[in-house]
Amino acid sequence: MVAVDARDLFEILAREHLDGVRAFLLASVRDPLAAEDLLQETFLVAWRILDRYDRKLPFGPWVRGIAGKLVLNHRRKLGRSRMLYCDEDVLLHLDEAFERFARLDGDTFDDRLEVLRDCLHRLTGPQRESIRLHYEHGLHCKEIAVRLELGLEAVKKHLQRGRAALQRCLRVKIARAEEA
Amino acid sequence: MSRPEDLPDPERPDPQRPDPELPELAVPDSWRAADDTLSDGGEAADPTVPPGSAPWLAGQRSVHGLLRALYSADATAREARVQSLLERIDAERAAATAPADRRAGRVQFLVAAVLLLAVGLFAVLPERLPTAAAAVQRAVAQLARDVDQRYRLEMQGEGPAGSDRLRHEFELVTRPGMRLRVAGKLALGTFTLGEFELGCDGTEFWIRGANGLLRRSAPVARRGELAPGIADFLDVGYLDVHALVRQLPEDFEVAVVGSEAGPAGERLLHLQAERQRSGRQPLLRKADLWCDEATGMVVRIEIEAAHPGGARQTLRFVHLGEAEQAVDYRRPW
Repeated sequence: MVAVDARDLFEILAREHLDGVRAFLLASVRDPLAAEDLLQETFLVAWRILDRYDRKLPFGPWVRGIAGKLVLNHRRKLGRSRMLYCDEDVLLHLDEAFERFARLDGDTFDDRLEVLRDCLHRLTGPQRESIRLHYEHGLHCKEIAVRLELGLEAVKKHLQRGRAALQRCLRVKIARAEEA
Repeated sequence: MSRPEDLPDPERPDPQRPDPELPELAVPDSWRAADDTLSDGGEAADPTVPPGSAPWLAGQRSVHGLLRALYSADATAREARVQSLLERIDAERAAATAPADRRAGRVQFLVAAVLLLAVGLFAVLPERLPTAAAAVQRAVAQLARDVDQRYRLEMQGEGPAGSDRLRHEFELVTRPGMRLRVAGKLALGTFTLGEFELGCDGTEFWIRGANGLLRRSAPVARRGELAPGIADFLDVGYLDVHALVRQLPEDFEVAVVGSEAGPAGERLLHLQAERQRSGRQPLLRKADLWCDEATGMVVRIEIEAAHPGGARQTLRFVHLGEAEQAVDYRRPW
């Protein structure tokens, strides 16, 4: 039997969960640089306290718990200006959403993102276009409004309804995966 | 508590609510207003979050994070993240095994560096040096020429606690009139985040990521809103080299501190500028300039800046010559 030391084990866990925790942080923090910083910090903290991790339990929720605490600390330090609104209640629900997402079919986080991509194709025209312009091309809502000749509030509603539709689509696919 | 996620699923219709849009239409406007993922330019949303809205906000937020991850997925960046993390873990393990040796080595290095600076600097001081004001005037005259100057820009940022946090290396092209263009990679420690471009045509400031995730522009006066983490560290106040050098005598005490040989054997005049009074760039603390004695051109600049909250930053500009082709500073989209 090949002996696996703690560092090797941690590398396996980090490779498996890094993308998921990064998405969790991108959901919680506005600044992408800060999200990357927190991502590194999350896994460093996880490494330092790895002896506290109960290996009978899944690693994802444990490491997201660390990320959540670091997000709250970061928010306290910076104030609201560079953060999305994230109190403990929001983070708890966010964690549940990511836990559900992890139940999708797929060996890797990328595989599960492909399910999201499939859901994107099912959106209606303006919702899909608003999401594409916002997330793929990095346009602000105001710029999308000009590009699509829509009002600012209409664009925001398309984005919010598009995201809600994606959420529903993912829920259906998760339910199917669990039934299967 | 009302949870929109628990409302009927459009793909499993409830006979009482057949319209797939109905659950979303039931979301109160106050909840929508509290969704700060859509606030443009980084401004904070209304700090009051309506009671009961947390599940809906988290639902929006989760898809927001997944979409950001989807459009920034990059195998190279992922591997760099893992490698960076493993290097930091290995460094911690190594430090834990030999902390005393490392500290002693660091102290010895610092002592040697201080001695070298103290002895070396006085050894190269010529008997008579040109005045700093004249050297700055010559440099400003060179930089004022209407040509595109190329620099390598190395930047290091340090957090308030003194830990290394940011390391950037860019190519900078600049021309008088606040025209500049920067391209390079952002990095945290040994971890490379990604390539991006940033520019200013004198009126508009723009930034775009090579992966297409980020693409924003704003009038120069509102540049800080574009990408707070980047714009703080890449202020045009620093990058407009002509304006930076021209401004120095007004806010700083400038002195010639030495003359030394450059990489090609040319004589370089070393000027040091220390802040004496508050100026237009309150963050800038100190600047060192090396000017070619023959041409007067600034060939290297090192500046130190301190940010509110304690973060510090060092920038080093190394002149690479004039651009061979015309540079377009306008927003590329």
